[in-house]
Amino acid sequence: MLRKYELSVTSELDNLASIGQFIADTTRALGLSGDEAFAVEMAVDEACANVIEHAYDGKPDGTIEVTCYLEEDRLVVTIRDHGEPFDPASVRCPDTECSLKYREVGGLGLHFMRTLMDEVRFEFDTPEGNVLRMTKVRH
Amino acid sequence: MEVSNTELKHCDLVAVKGRVDSSTAPQLDEALKAIMEKGRYRIVLDLSGVEFLGSAGLRAIVSAYKTCRRWNRGDVRLAELPSRIQGVFDLAGITPLVKIYPEVVLAVGSF
Repeated sequence: MLRKYELSVTSELDNLASIGQFIADTTRALGLSGDEAFAVEMAVDEACANVIEHAYDGKPDGTIEVTCYLEEDRLVVTIRDHGEPFDPASVRCPDTECSLKYREVGGLGLHFMRTLMDEVRFEFDTPEGNVLRMTKVRH
Repeated sequence: MEVSNTELKHCDLVAVKGRVDSSTAPQLDEALKAIMEKGRYRIVLDLSGVEFLGSAGLRAIVSAYKTCRRWNRGDVRLAELPSRIQGVFDLAGITPLVKIYPEVVLAVGSF
């Protein structure tokens, strides 16, 4: 039977540390390397920060549900919230070739998610809320 | 996360320890602003104790970097990055743009 790990927290920024610890523990338990586990922890942290700041507009009374499990050759993480959806296509990728003087501030979190994970998929306004699914192929 | 500052002769040495995420990055931001508000713009960031650094922490560092570099009055230089934290700077494309030193003493001595 494949083990599925789940965590539910309120949308407070202070809970990012608990989410990080949850991801660190479960990815190692599921057999990911240290570097792979760190990449997943970073991507999940960025995604959850976005949920708190944008989906819940900074309000701490929302819920964030994180699950973590293996599916065939990959690790799957889902992040579910019941806040406002947003259009990821509207977030411009930062120009990482650009000098810092002209570098724009936004978009770095999403860039990290897309670079660190193999798949990043958003589903908004489902009956279960907004669901972000990210996967990382295990090596 | 802990931030401590030591005023040295030619620069400020800021040691950051622990987890720098969207929750704790504002503390780092404030600590750096407090230094710059005193008119001190030469800063060494000792990141040897950093366990995690997300985009919010990067933004705080880049913001201080831009302020310090204005009119060539100073700089923010980084020292002793753990390899995963170095990876975060690489991922953001920031590594070629800032001075990074393997030892704090070298970073401090560079000013």
